[in-house]
Amino acid sequence: MVNFTIEEVRALMDKPTNVRNMSVIAHVDHGKSTLTDSLLSKAGIISSAKAGEARATDTRADEQERGITIKSTAISLYGNLPSEDDIKDIVGQKTDGRDFLINLIDSPGHVDFSSEVTAALRVTDGALVVVDTIEGVCVQTETVLRQALGERIKPVVIINKVDRALLELQVSKEDLYQSFSRTIESVNVVISTYFDKSLGDVQVYPYKGTVAFGSGLHGWAFTIRQFAERYAKKFGVDRNKMMERLWGDNYFNPHTKKWTNKGTHEGKELERAFNQFILDPIFRIFNAVMNFKKDEIPTLLEKLSIKLAADDKDKEGKQLLKVIMKSFLPAADALLEMMILHLPSPVTAQRYRAETLYEGPPDDEACIGIRDCDPKAPLMLYVSKMVPTSDKGRFYAFGRVFAGTVRSGLKVRIQGPNYTPGKKDDLFIKAIQRTVLMMGGKVDPIDDVPAGNILGLVGIDQFLLKSGTLTTSDTAHNLKVMKFSVSPVVQRSVEVKNAQDLPKLVEGLKRLSKSDPCVLTFISESGEHVVAGAGELHLEICLKDLEEDHAGVPLRISDPVVAYRETVTAKSSITALSKSPNKHNRIYMIAEPMDEELAKEIEAGKIGPRDDIKARARIMADDFGWDVTDARKIWCFGPDTNGANLLIDQTKAVQYLNEIKDSVVSGFQWASREGPVAEEPMRSCRFNIMDVTLHADAIHRGGGQIIPTTRRVLLAATLLAEPGLLEPVFLVEIQVPESAMGGVYGVLTRRRGHVFNEEQRPGTPLFTIKAYLPVMESFGFNADLRSHTSGQAFPQSVFDHWQLLPGGSPLDATSKVGQIVQEMRKRKGIKVEVPGVENYYDKL
Amino acid sequence: MAAHQPIAPPVLSTPETHLFSDPTPLAIPTKESRLSNDEIRETYEIERTAREIIQGAWRRVALQFPDEMLVDAPRVFEGLASELENLSQEGGEEGNRSTRRRLYILADTSYGCCCVDEIAAEHVDAEVVVHYGRACLSPTARLPVLYVFTSRKLDADDAASGFEESFDSKEEKVIMMADLTYQSHVKPLVERLRKSGWKNVRETAVIHDPVAEIPNRKIVWEEGEEGKEPLQEWRIWHISDPPPALLLTLSSRIKELLIYPTTASTSPSKPGPKNQIIRSNTTAVLRRRYALLTRLTTVPIIGILINTLSVANYLSSTGTLQAMISRAGKKSYTFVVGKVNAAKMANFSEVGAWVVLGCWESSLLEGDFYAPVVTPFELELALQKDGERVWSGEWRGDFESVLWTGGTSDVVGNGGEKKEVDDGSLIGEKQQQDDEDNDESEEESQPPEFDLRTGRYVSHSRPMFSSSTSASTTTTTPSSSDPPTSKVLARRAKGDLATVNGAVSPGAEFLRSQRTWTGLGSDFNDEGDGDGDSAGRIEEGRGGIARGYTVGGEGVRR
Repeated sequence: MVNFTIEEVRALMDKPTNVRNMSVIAHVDHGKSTLTDSLLSKAGIISSAKAGEARATDTRADEQERGITIKSTAISLYGNLPSEDDIKDIVGQKTDGRDFLINLIDSPGHVDFSSEVTAALRVTDGALVVVDTIEGVCVQTETVLRQALGERIKPVVIINKVDRALLELQVSKEDLYQSFSRTIESVNVVISTYFDKSLGDVQVYPYKGTVAFGSGLHGWAFTIRQFAERYAKKFGVDRNKMMERLWGDNYFNPHTKKWTNKGTHEGKELERAFNQFILDPIFRIFNAVMNFKKDEIPTLLEKLSIKLAADDKDKEGKQLLKVIMKSFLPAADALLEMMILHLPSPVTAQRYRAETLYEGPPDDEACIGIRDCDPKAPLMLYVSKMVPTSDKGRFYAFGRVFAGTVRSGLKVRIQGPNYTPGKKDDLFIKAIQRTVLMMGGKVDPIDDVPAGNILGLVGIDQFLLKSGTLTTSDTAHNLKVMKFSVSPVVQRSVEVKNAQDLPKLVEGLKRLSKSDPCVLTFISESGEHVVAGAGELHLEICLKDLEEDHAGVPLRISDPVVAYRETVTAKSSITALSKSPNKHNRIYMIAEPMDEELAKEIEAGKIGPRDDIKARARIMADDFGWDVTDARKIWCFGPDTNGANLLIDQTKAVQYLNEIKDSVVSGFQWASREGPVAEEPMRSCRFNIMDVTLHADAIHRGGGQIIPTTRRVLLAATLLAEPGLLEPVFLVEIQVPESAMGGVYGVLTRRRGHVFNEEQRPGTPLFTIKAYLPVMESFGFNADLRSHTSGQAFPQSVFDHWQLLPGGSPLDATSKVGQIVQEMRKRKGIKVEVPGVENYYDKL
Repeated sequence: MAAHQPIAPPVLSTPETHLFSDPTPLAIPTKESRLSNDEIRETYEIERTAREIIQGAWRRVALQFPDEMLVDAPRVFEGLASELENLSQEGGEEGNRSTRRRLYILADTSYGCCCVDEIAAEHVDAEVVVHYGRACLSPTARLPVLYVFTSRKLDADDAASGFEESFDSKEEKVIMMADLTYQSHVKPLVERLRKSGWKNVRETAVIHDPVAEIPNRKIVWEEGEEGKEPLQEWRIWHISDPPPALLLTLSSRIKELLIYPTTASTSPSKPGPKNQIIRSNTTAVLRRRYALLTRLTTVPIIGILINTLSVANYLSSTGTLQAMISRAGKKSYTFVVGKVNAAKMANFSEVGAWVVLGCWESSLLEGDFYAPVVTPFELELALQKDGERVWSGEWRGDFESVLWTGGTSDVVGNGGEKKEVDDGSLIGEKQQQDDEDNDESEEESQPPEFDLRTGRYVSHSRPMFSSSTSASTTTTTPSSSDPPTSKVLARRAKGDLATVNGAVSPGAEFLRSQRTWTGLGSDFNDEGDGDGDSAGRIEEGRGGIARGYTVGGEGVRR
């Protein structure tokens, strides 16, 4: 039975100092959901016996089947500290009583779903980073940790699956300690790389209690603080002092009965305090139980003051071990304690997060409201994702109240991601119908929710596609739009088997687009319905959802295709010139490649069209070696006004130039959206307007004359600048035992892969191989890899960068690239041959 | 124009040589452009025309030629005039002045040359129009028309062998069809093929009905066959390239369309390369049309482009389209631009999409247009709700069909209200009533539209929607929405936008919000923070005459 009521939760919401919003993040299969189970069982949501196996936060059937988390799931828990003493250990923030509300989000670990992690991190202040004892810090651990720090989220770490180290690998105590400290060290390396002054030092240390060790499967975990508390009385020392002694090079010399930091005494090895006082009892229990030393067990239990229920005593082996360990060191207690003591409350966190969360000025009422986590301030709420309801086609808007209080019936301004203050675009006014508390797969209605809490909203889902800001202030800017670490580079087109089902497909695509933060659905220029996802698995899940759930009609799904980009590889050989249809206006243009770094910055949103012109020009001059005057005369970004192509005005003293700017910009958006080679979007091109000749009468230089001309001259300039195709490239990290490495290399080489890093994981026979693999070659890569390494290699692919497609010019139909282009054009239903430059270039 | 490389520095003004150059390429004069007089008589069917003119007792006759036939126009004119003279004398008509027939050549047709230019004909008070060349055969509103298809030659042997090569079995069900200019060859060819054992070949006859199953054609069925055979089982063998509109129309109605191109060897004398049979594949084209029309779902302003003035019903169709667009909450503007080209249409950047009202052939415009251009049929589909639109591959070019179905089809209209009810059911009626009770100053917004093309939400895709739905609730809004009953000139505040029934005109709103250049002087504002580009203060300079200037008005001579 759930051991708390909604009323209790609601009461705790009013004390934001006693709220902890946290997400559980880790590499895939490191045990997030399993560990979360132990917290749920503590809260009475699932039975203690099931904990560790139920994976209660994996609410979807396919999540249970595949054994991976796909969607992040939120759940609110009630937790309390056992004694008033513990409150004193909460340093740096205020606390009000021993009761706490914990809003927990379990997130998926597979890279393909890391957009879910981003959405979860946005609404939380702390993160529980789960690391596998044996595998250590993996690529995704690093990625999510980096994301968390970018959002100014404080991490605590649990080293999971300690039972495996003991049972399967049979490591010694010292080896285990070394393994722990190596793992913690590598976590800290990542943390210190992304050091943020406002967040302070957030490195984790076992002796500070920010690292726990345990086994989610067996339901036990401990922090050094727990042991320190036990031993503090025995040794008669302060608990905090004890904590420091129980980690690192601290030894208790049994001969002198003194603490020392030297590892030897009179030539004899001393046992490390951590090993002696913490690992030893655990090892002894494992030893006794697994080797069936029945007589030893009762004495051990008595010594550790563990009481077992009568029927548990009859168990044997792993079952018994589980019961003993669970009652000896309950995981939930260790985790709750760690989270409550070391993770920030919303009050603490929003103080330093406000400036990174808010797009507007730091001194307006909205920002001050966020900073103070003020429930009486104007409402500021960020919706980070949409959660499907049982009512088909409708969604809960899942988000966090950063300021103010949200209640049912409140009329709010809904600001979509493209909203700019003062404009009407992407702005809607709507009353919130209901507010609910997210409880895993279920929801509980709640009347109102004050600042600092996470909730679900009913009735605004039609206004927001994936995320957005809700506010009651007329002047509020948006809360920052989330940036995802993955991009939808793998596409598949879908069509209905029966034309009458088309409306259902269209509705289904809309719903799919809403239900996933990263997926993109659109109709291509050639009339195909395209679903784009981060990777093969992501796309597979999305299409399965689409077919079975969102659309519910039989579909034909094409083979995966890659989204290419068009670019230029050199400066235009001559200045391109195009004349307007009436021949009275001429535009001269040169295309040249742009710095790859700059293109990345633009795509990451660090340099954008909305920046202050002068500040942007300075950055571009300092970091990318641009001419300051050029950098100030950027007319626009494209496509979609924010892409990584730039149009620069390099003309001198042209009359009426400002008048035609809008038309030129329109033409630029058009051309950069559909390049000349295969009607794919352009990327990383810089276009310089060299000169413009205009007719003196306004009517002869209207949009009709300028827009098509600009497009033509841009296409001509591109064709004159040795155009090329860019293909997306995955970064693949493969963990593989040494024996199977040959197979990995073989598969990679055959698929144009390129290994750039290979290192052995210390203390294991496992190697980590990092390689670049073109997305085009990645289809079926996982299966191929499995079959060539007899299933021992485990790859993780994430989009990394764009690279020029090698193998000749796309304009040459006989080259490999040319053939890809022709195939693409054929698929799009356009003329197979790439139109020559003479179609766009006019002679003077 | 000079054809050298652009090495010379660009000229900063337009040279005079450019002033009168016509951007549209000249029509290529037809192959053996000089036809003999006999050939002219034959091709242009002068005898038949003259006879029919006499029969109709028409006095003023307009001759309409397509551009590529204009070279022959004077000779046709002369031939026809003399033929008429002869005939009327034979018929014993008196040749007095008042009854003399007058012929006029209409050149420079304002729209497509397939349509009859009734307006131009009316300028000369013509009583009948003789239309030469291929025609779309759309019904006309005002004038009788004589069609002369100007039959072209066809190598019957080559065509027959081409036909036999196209199919494997002589049992194949084939309908033979031809472009209007080759229509005369259909009947002999079919007869010839039947003799050589092709049993299931049917010919087609020309009718004036663009909405027929095969536009403008009737299949000559065997006796008792009519209506039994579903067209889906038949292939069509088409002589000469069909217009794209025909291709799309037929693609869903028949099994397959095979094209016998006539470009390679038009005259039997020349041993040109053999004509290759083309199997048409329209799926890619149709898919692109689908992509195009889905762009309309989020477009707030749709332009109705009149591309004909001579098709019957075009006025009422315009009205239907306007009603359809406004029912969908979008704004429509009507345009007449003469011959359509990309430049003309790009001049109206506020218009997000165009619907072309033309004859069934000329509605389908393809090319590099800045905004999508669709046919009325496609518009009807596009305005349907996403949850209802079915794209089965069926396609039609005529607007009459839309006119008929336009009233009944469920175009998004009351969608907004329906959705409100859906919401209500979620929270119960009580909440809904509460909302209405404390109706605040700001109303709830319409939900945004999902843009199928980009996968994003687009707000304000139905700008006229709020005005129609909220008109009843906000009756007391001041001045701006008052009906224009008073005759006193109202002075508008500066920067005020024109309103239509209380809603801001979407066109004006576009110009205000999307244009960065708002007039002279506006370009100084954003740079005006003192780094050289800003306009400086006016200072008094030097004055006086060349003998000695004064500076600063102090009388100091320099």
